[in-house]
Amino acid sequence: MQTTHMATPVLEVAHLEKVYGALGNVTRALNDVSFTVNRGEFVGIMGASGSGKSTLLNCVSTIDSATSGTIRINGQDVTRMKQAKLSQFRREELGFIFQDSNLLDTLTARENIALPLTIARTNSAEISTRVQDVAARLSISQVLDKYPYQMSGGQQQRVAAARALVTDPTMIMADEPTGALDSKSARLLLESLEALNRRLRATVLMVTHDSFAASYTSRVLFIRDGKIFTELRRGDTDRREFFDRIMEVVAMMGGEGSDAL
Amino acid sequence: MLCKLAWGNVRRAGRDYLVYLLTLTLGVTVFYAFNTISMQVDIAGIDEEGLAQVMGSMLGDLTYFLAGVMAFLMVYANNFIMKRRKKEFGLYQVLGMGRGRVATIMALETVIVSVVAFVAGIVLGVGLSQLMTFFTASLFKTQIANFHFFFSVHAFNLTLVCMLVMFVLTLLLNLRAVRRTKLIELMGAERRNESIKTRNPWIAIAIFAVGVVLVGVAYYRLLRDGFPLTATDSKLQEAMSQFGITTAMVTVGTFALFWGLSGMLIKLLQSLRSVYWRGLNMFTVRQLAAKVNTVCFSMGVIAMLLFLAITSVTCGMSIANVMNENLERYNPVDVSQTYVYYTPDTLDYYKEYVNPPEADRMVLADTTVDLYPAWHGKGKSVDNNDETGKKVNIADVAGEHVQIDSYLSYPLGGSNPSVTPSEMCKTMGEKLPKAFGGSNADAMGLFVTPASQYNKLRQMMGEEPVHIGHDQYLLTCDMGGELVDMYTKYMAGGHALTLGGHELKPATDKSDEDTAAIANSAMGSNPGTVVVADELLSQLNLQPYSSSLLVKTGDGYDRGRREH
Repeated sequence: MQTTHMATPVLEVAHLEKVYGALGNVTRALNDVSFTVNRGEFVGIMGASGSGKSTLLNCVSTIDSATSGTIRINGQDVTRMKQAKLSQFRREELGFIFQDSNLLDTLTARENIALPLTIARTNSAEISTRVQDVAARLSISQVLDKYPYQMSGGQQQRVAAARALVTDPTMIMADEPTGALDSKSARLLLESLEALNRRLRATVLMVTHDSFAASYTSRVLFIRDGKIFTELRRGDTDRREFFDRIMEVVAMMGGEGSDAL
Repeated sequence: MLCKLAWGNVRRAGRDYLVYLLTLTLGVTVFYAFNTISMQVDIAGIDEEGLAQVMGSMLGDLTYFLAGVMAFLMVYANNFIMKRRKKEFGLYQVLGMGRGRVATIMALETVIVSVVAFVAGIVLGVGLSQLMTFFTASLFKTQIANFHFFFSVHAFNLTLVCMLVMFVLTLLLNLRAVRRTKLIELMGAERRNESIKTRNPWIAIAIFAVGVVLVGVAYYRLLRDGFPLTATDSKLQEAMSQFGITTAMVTVGTFALFWGLSGMLIKLLQSLRSVYWRGLNMFTVRQLAAKVNTVCFSMGVIAMLLFLAITSVTCGMSIANVMNENLERYNPVDVSQTYVYYTPDTLDYYKEYVNPPEADRMVLADTTVDLYPAWHGKGKSVDNNDETGKKVNIADVAGEHVQIDSYLSYPLGGSNPSVTPSEMCKTMGEKLPKAFGGSNADAMGLFVTPASQYNKLRQMMGEEPVHIGHDQYLLTCDMGGELVDMYTKYMAGGHALTLGGHELKPATDKSDEDTAAIANSAMGSNPGTVVVADELLSQLNLQPYSSSLLVKTGDGYDRGRREH
């Protein structure tokens, strides 16, 4: 795909380590993890529960702090950033989609999507057009004036995706975005993400334990026990074939005694 | 924009904020209404002089306490909100809002809620204080003559200051919470219980036992020592510090008790397998366990609040009862005027015990003054508090009147009283009543009054005179309880009194306290008087102490207010 001829790294992770707990009760969640993601890539991170995949995403997305190692996004080392700079960085470079959509119950879909823009003090005319645009792309225009509890889970998740995209971030971080969705809603969301990635060249980093979700990406990193176990590139194969290859790796990882995925 | 967000949050997170708002409003209401009590007393037309002072100092202390309780409630309610909203604040940060702005939003929310609560609280408080006036009035058995709407600027200011202090306090706490918590914790906040520190059950049991012992010992000390204000002046300091220790013990003990109990209870319930594994019990116990830290703290506070509420209400009611009951007895007539006699030697001594307003009624004399002519026609105001300042001529208002002369039980120029409470108790082989503690009763001894004056007072009050022979005595006292009991017992026991070498026998066996007052007063005027035959008294040549003129106003004069 496009990655080969346009190899600008947007994310460089080097020797990342994350240790939880204190004396006598230490958990090494990430152990010397290194990888790069290029601009416009749609990368999946797979692993069993407790493999460290969510920790990895939290570290990369600056929600959690790394114990050692460096994380560069657009050439900036986020592990050494000050609070104020971090806020600005999150605002301008990152978009988040969480497993549970994390919408604010007190705001309508429109207000939820607009939130990152209002935080960035964008002027109201621009907010309005950008919210309309992104809502149209994710086909949620008709729910814009509803509150989260008036929407289906799939709609909520797409509103969350719209909120992540509305600022045109350098990178979108998605943590199990389909985890709480039925298969139809999951497919809709994944297709939206894929389309965004293809058409707008948005870089997406998605953590999932679902092989089906992973098959929409262009590259999958497999994590086990805090280390990168292997990676798969989709290349020019179609999604169904990529899915089968993912399943093979999953079976192999599972066959070596770890939990089934 | 931040303002809008904060306003929207408050408006929409109504359910969460309602708890906080109600707590705050209630706090403000009670605080304001409480601080208007002294004003209510005024409106209700209760003008006991000492009362306002006593209430003022008591209320002052209680205000601090109330402020403390209010602060606790606010911080508690605030924590509750913060906990529910941690994730939201985390989300703001994830979406790129700086911590400063998150803090600003929170501060704005606190401001909005505080202002709303303050306004609502003051409005309710003003309403409540009007209603309370009627309650206060009924408590003191008075009628409200001219009720009018009132607003206490003093209470308002006090509430405002208190509120501001608490606002700053909660704000600082919240800011600290935002500054301290890591983003990852905020995002995962909803999944966390209160940090459950599994308590060692043995330690919990030990702490519980310590709490029980502390509370027990504290109550024992309280019952033994009594309220520190009844201690004598010299021991007041010590009594107060002892009381402080007791208070500290009961406070620490209460918290220890609940801390231990909560830790123990969970272990205990879990060990009762048949209970723990039945129905939803397991869930309930775990839910309790998850809240155990705040629960034991709030239980402690609730226990102490209840304690204070119950004790202060019952104390207040019984004080009011006693005062109302005794009011008639302490004020037998419409107007009374007292002159106190002194000699050049005793001037300083008396000045300590006589109120400054009465200073002009101190007379240098070695024999009693006839008060009616002395007072008659002088146009003295019979009422110091008369707002109009109108002087009333006693002759215009006087109907029946009697003068009661009180002598000390030693001759002119002497200094050793021959009748003292201590001696009397010794004769009976009893302990001196506590009520004498700290008084100068022994130094002064009992008063001596001629029988004719006493009997005239009795007649004025519609009672039969008592015959007191030349070798007889009668003891009177209007201070109730222990004292009257002691005098009655002394007479009933047939004990003799020696006065100036004369041995006297009791004339009756009962001390009648309803005719014992020697002047109008708030708290009683006669701690103990020996009534003897007039001829005997004139033989003894005793040192005069005071004379009181007790006057019933004639027809046509509105009784109005009384002087005491």
